[in-house]
Amino acid sequence: MIKNFLLTTFCFFSLCLFSQERDIKGSVADKESGMPLLGVNVIIEGTTQGTTTDFDGNFMLASVQKDATLVFSYLGFKTLKIKVAGQTQFDVQLESDTESLDDVVVIGYGSSSKRKITGSVSTVNSESIQDLEPINAATALQGTSAGVSVTPQSGAPGAESNIRIRGVSTNGNSSPLIILNGAQYDGGLNSINPQDIESITVLKDAQAAIYGSIGANGVVLIETKRGERNQSAVVSYNTYVGLQETTRKLPLLNANEYVLLTNEKYANAGLDLPFTNLSQINNNTDWQDQVFETPTVISNNVSIRGGSENTDYSFSASHLDQGGIVAPDKSNFKRSTASISLNTDVRDFLNVSANVFFTNNRSQGINSFGLGSVLFNAINIAPVINRSQNNLDGTIDLGAEVVNPLTQINNTFNDFESNRLSGSFKAELEYIKDFKLTARYGFNSSKLNNREFFPEFNFGTGKVFNRPFNQVNLNQQDFYDYTFDLFNTIEKTFFDDLDVNLTLGTTAFRAHGEGLFASRTGVPRNSFQFADLDSATGLGDNQTNGSFVNEFRRLSYFSRVEFSYLDRYLLSGIIRRDTSSNFGPNNASAWFPSLTAGWIMTEEDFIGTNDFINFAKLRGSYGQLGNDQIENFLYLSVLNGEATYVFGEDQSLTEGQALGPLANPNIKWEISTKLDLGLDLEFLNRDLRVTFDYYRNEREDLLIPSIPTSGIFGTSAPGSLAPTINAGTVVNKGIELSINYSKEVNDDFSFSINYNMSTLDNEVTQINGAPFLEGGQFSVGQLPPSRMEVGLPIGYFYGLKTDGIFQSQAEVDSHPSQALLGATARPGDIRFVDVNGDGTISQDDRTYIGDPIPDVTMGFNLSFNYKNFDFSAYSFANLGSEIVRNFERDQVNVNMLSHRLDRWTGPGTSSTEPRVSAGATANKLFSDYFVEDGSFLRIQTISFGYSLPTEALKTVGLTSVKIYAKVDNAFTFTEYSGYDPTASTGAPIGGGIDLGFYPLPRTYTLGLNVKL
Amino acid sequence: MMNTFYNKCALILIAFALVSCSDDFVDVDPPFQLTSETFFETEDDFRNALVGAYDLLQATYINVILAEIASDNANAGGESATDVVGWQQVDRMIHTPVNDDIDNVWDFNFAGVYRASYIIENKDKIDFDGKEQIIAEVRFLRAYFNFELVKWFGPIPIKPEGRFELGEETSIPRASLEDVYAYIENDLSLAIPNLSPQPPQVGRASKASAQALLGKVHLFQEEFGLAAAQFNDVVNSGFRLYGTVPEEDVLNLFEFEAENSAEAVFEIQYTGAEGAGFDCLQCSEGNVMVGFSGVRGYNGPLYEPGFGFNLPTQEMFDAFETNDLRRELSILDIEAWAANTEAVFTIGNQDPQTGHTGYYNRKYIPRQNENLGDANLTQPNNYRAIRFADVLLMAAESLNRGNINDVLALDYVNQVRSRAGLPDINVSGSQLTDEIYRQRRLELVGEGHRFFDLVRTGRAVQQIQGFTAGKNEVFPIPLEEIQFSQGNWEQNPNY
Repeated sequence: MIKNFLLTTFCFFSLCLFSQERDIKGSVADKESGMPLLGVNVIIEGTTQGTTTDFDGNFMLASVQKDATLVFSYLGFKTLKIKVAGQTQFDVQLESDTESLDDVVVIGYGSSSKRKITGSVSTVNSESIQDLEPINAATALQGTSAGVSVTPQSGAPGAESNIRIRGVSTNGNSSPLIILNGAQYDGGLNSINPQDIESITVLKDAQAAIYGSIGANGVVLIETKRGERNQSAVVSYNTYVGLQETTRKLPLLNANEYVLLTNEKYANAGLDLPFTNLSQINNNTDWQDQVFETPTVISNNVSIRGGSENTDYSFSASHLDQGGIVAPDKSNFKRSTASISLNTDVRDFLNVSANVFFTNNRSQGINSFGLGSVLFNAINIAPVINRSQNNLDGTIDLGAEVVNPLTQINNTFNDFESNRLSGSFKAELEYIKDFKLTARYGFNSSKLNNREFFPEFNFGTGKVFNRPFNQVNLNQQDFYDYTFDLFNTIEKTFFDDLDVNLTLGTTAFRAHGEGLFASRTGVPRNSFQFADLDSATGLGDNQTNGSFVNEFRRLSYFSRVEFSYLDRYLLSGIIRRDTSSNFGPNNASAWFPSLTAGWIMTEEDFIGTNDFINFAKLRGSYGQLGNDQIENFLYLSVLNGEATYVFGEDQSLTEGQALGPLANPNIKWEISTKLDLGLDLEFLNRDLRVTFDYYRNEREDLLIPSIPTSGIFGTSAPGSLAPTINAGTVVNKGIELSINYSKEVNDDFSFSINYNMSTLDNEVTQINGAPFLEGGQFSVGQLPPSRMEVGLPIGYFYGLKTDGIFQSQAEVDSHPSQALLGATARPGDIRFVDVNGDGTISQDDRTYIGDPIPDVTMGFNLSFNYKNFDFSAYSFANLGSEIVRNFERDQVNVNMLSHRLDRWTGPGTSSTEPRVSAGATANKLFSDYFVEDGSFLRIQTISFGYSLPTEALKTVGLTSVKIYAKVDNAFTFTEYSGYDPTASTGAPIGGGIDLGFYPLPRTYTLGLNVKL
Repeated sequence: MMNTFYNKCALILIAFALVSCSDDFVDVDPPFQLTSETFFETEDDFRNALVGAYDLLQATYINVILAEIASDNANAGGESATDVVGWQQVDRMIHTPVNDDIDNVWDFNFAGVYRASYIIENKDKIDFDGKEQIIAEVRFLRAYFNFELVKWFGPIPIKPEGRFELGEETSIPRASLEDVYAYIENDLSLAIPNLSPQPPQVGRASKASAQALLGKVHLFQEEFGLAAAQFNDVVNSGFRLYGTVPEEDVLNLFEFEAENSAEAVFEIQYTGAEGAGFDCLQCSEGNVMVGFSGVRGYNGPLYEPGFGFNLPTQEMFDAFETNDLRRELSILDIEAWAANTEAVFTIGNQDPQTGHTGYYNRKYIPRQNENLGDANLTQPNNYRAIRFADVLLMAAESLNRGNINDVLALDYVNQVRSRAGLPDINVSGSQLTDEIYRQRRLELVGEGHRFFDLVRTGRAVQQIQGFTAGKNEVFPIPLEEIQFSQGNWEQNPNY
């Protein structure tokens, strides 16, 4: 009876239970694109029951309990949990997760996760790159990554950018190492199509020690986009058209003002006036209007990406065509790229991948830098000259350098083309469980062709650009390098809670370069059309040729061990030994150790997580990295100097041999010791993320190229050069703060705000063998304006300090004499400070008058999404940098900036602007009169987009369509009077001096992104 | 089965890597290039290195133009009163140790010393016929550069056995004047017996070149007997004054046709066949001084334009008697010339002390020619470093001031006068000395000798405006050099 009862009851409950279960089905799609997602894990929470979505994103689960919870998880997307609650049909959309703690972070010879990484890292993902849509991928790092400074070398199309990570540490090569898909990349970032980039990761601290020898300047890791496994092909087409213009025209004197001030100059020097008959001034040429234009930039980009179960693939091609805002016919940049990436699991223990990038760059350029550049001429040429006057004879004497910029453009002919093939092939073999061997071969091969033609032309008597006969110059250069990596990774878990990850490996790197140069005169018809060595007919000494061969090798062994205990105590150690062919046998090898540690505090029971705080990690790193980025074979005396003299009755050139750069047999590795202490915090449901870092980098044994040495070593001889010496120590320290807040307010509205900031305190702490080093150039024939000296920032400005303007002769007389500066002071001249107090003003009174290194750099970025609209704005700022105004030619008749109208003309008329004079004055000597505040805030990008409704698109077979409008380089708030406060050569000593910087264009863009 | 296969592959790969990637991988030599260790092993190496030592002679243009500006012969000129500020300061005699141009004099001449010393350091590495001649030329060149340095800077660091090595700037002191001169004399004395009377090629040093230089070195030390002996040999070596045979015209002495003439005792060779730029003036194969001395904005016959530096003063022009052919030879009166030829020119620096004078240094202004760009830097005019007229006047000075033979001295002076179209004179003693000094100025104006002649004869303070006795006899050691030496080298007095 009881048995029956029990049986019946059991059956009943069983029935009940059975009746609680039902089959469910549904589909999973990408919320953003609407594309079905394939291979999404759908699991019933708390069980092992689950399935994955099929090719169309569909899934089916049998017998699911009514109160169960479904968990949808997919790599790169936010995990979604949905209660079944009796429903049977689930059409789910997953939202991509750009900021997951489990996101893979590339760290070199492997990867880690955001959660477990113990070094200081900045990452820029493809979304930011998509928002910014930069022409040069380096721009995407600007203002988005704390501690990373990006300064364009010029606004000319195709110009590269200087990237500096945590300050300037060396006055050798300060550029970070660029690793493209694991292999060393030797090209500039503008040879990479930004739309191919999946992520840019910057390793800023000792964690980069895995790249020991070459990581001292930091490491930039670029990973390119791959296809998704189990996804049918996604075809994307992106295009934009932009219109570019200059952001600024300098306020210059017009013809009347010019005549007035020029006459006044002569009158002040007691000389005859150059303009006596004002009615003969017929021209008022605005030369800047003449040279600036508004050319277009056009980009087209196509990609096809997808994958099957075992293979993913990516194909892409792009074309960019950008004109320069000065002379677009002669200054432009065309980039075509194509890439293939394949990744396949041959067996479950063997993965093979390959990716190859081809880039063709074609560019033409005008003289765009410094003395003699087109803009320099436009600023300095007199407004009274007619635009069509090609030969300046008969007009006012503007010296040997200043010519008509339009004539200069018309006589500029060149064509530069480069073809580059870069890529890597990789095989990963799991030969025993948890033991993985990786072999990777990366390469860069590039061929550069340059053709220049100088027509026979006379710009006016004595002009330095004059060519008595024409000439064609050709040069061809080939560069090839490979990186071969072989490393073994072992991942094991011991005692349940101790994860150990060991990497052991070796890398061999070889770089080889060759070049050929030749030139010939007698180009037919004085025309670029026939500018070839073969067509030209010149004979004799003017036909020259030359060549070079470079060879460099480096061999490295490295090991990294990472421990993670209880998922909260993290420790890793790296050791690497490098041998470089750049150093002599005694100094060729060096060891680079580092240690990093982290503690995930929120994993501790006594802290734990709550509604407010979700994640907290304390981390630190300390270690040494090296630098061998110098010219090859500097430890050897090579007979590659110039030895040319004239012998014989016929006065013919005779070539001999002489020593080249002075050798330094003791040259050795530059060593950087890096300390970083950081804190990563996440609050409010991970909506608010804060990262804080303190860093200190001490760079010892700085490799200083051509360090000034005594003349007795013959380094002034032709083809010789001062030696490269390990000559000092520089410390960079500061803090970095990054705050992200992103919030999905509701289905229609989300936003994110990012603020980052870093401070930089740069100090030279030691220079061996010299009290200071000098560099840079100010005006013509003046002393070097920049110095590196103990106790001061590298490359600080060294010049005279001013103290207003002499208002009267009495003031001049009561002040120490300024005669030693080359001219006796008169009322209206600049009064200089007797810094050394010796009772006279001389060049010995020069002192610190500023430095080009910003104290604080900041980035502030916003984005909003409302329904189908999106808006984003990126901005960045530099505070506390100085910049030197050096685009005014020191010549008596050139045009001037309009602030000179406020010149001193009598007592009380000005205390800042000295008088004008054609006579000798010391006012032109390098002083703080020429140093300006270079601080600025730039609104880099404002973008507004609209995505068409997906339902409507489906009917025409499209997945997504977005149109957008964008302004780049929209506004710059600055006090600086030149074109662009970012003007810098990037030179550690001699940077921050504006020689007539080609301004970055402001670009108005309309774009279209389509996905099939 | 498969796993074993892959395991084997892995092991092979590892083994391959370990074997192939030994440290030999980085053991590479500079491709296709000679290094110091393998140099001086053939006769050609020596000949090629000799070309390298000669090369620096072309950089001594700076000594000539700057010494001319320093003297009472010429104003600095240029575009404005601050154009090439180092030259402007030297013109005003307000130069300080901070002066790029004086630093160039130091650097360029020491570079010559360095290249010569490199050969001397290796002279015993191999033997071959003709080595003595090469080493003798090298010694001559080293003496030439060192003599320039001692003229400009006084005591200098010396290392007769070879090149200076890094670090020695803080240990090798500035040698005494006596030691520097002994070193120069020693190089020349060793050179003279091995130098051929006829140089192997035009442009190379002959025996007479070295003897004339040695005579000059003695003259600068007022060792008149030793000087006269050397000059005597040179005078009797077959040279003659240009323009003293019918097919020559003295007015062409500084034209291209008179280069390496019978008057040339030692001539620095230049050509316009190779281009040059401002970034390395010392690399030019042309005479940079010439373009810098050219008429500003010139457009007209015969000449090419230049930068308008090194302008002879009115006082210099007036120092010539009107019938002295050398006034036309030496000085271009640009206003008169422009009036005659309708040439145009512009005026740059108008400062009364350093600016425009209306005169140009006709000996070394650019002539129209086919030189390569930058045409201002590649003028092919040879520099007549030691010419026979100079030797005659130095010989006369030695004979006269050494009380050796005024008759012979007078004969030499009259040879020079006569070639200039001036009548013979008949003076002796201190009157002859004064005439020799006067003729030296008139004969050699524009050639960079005047400043050092004034200094060595104690007349600089009277003649040169702004000259401070006890200071300006030598130029300051460049401040950079004082700093490099870390206290090892003292600054010249009163700088």
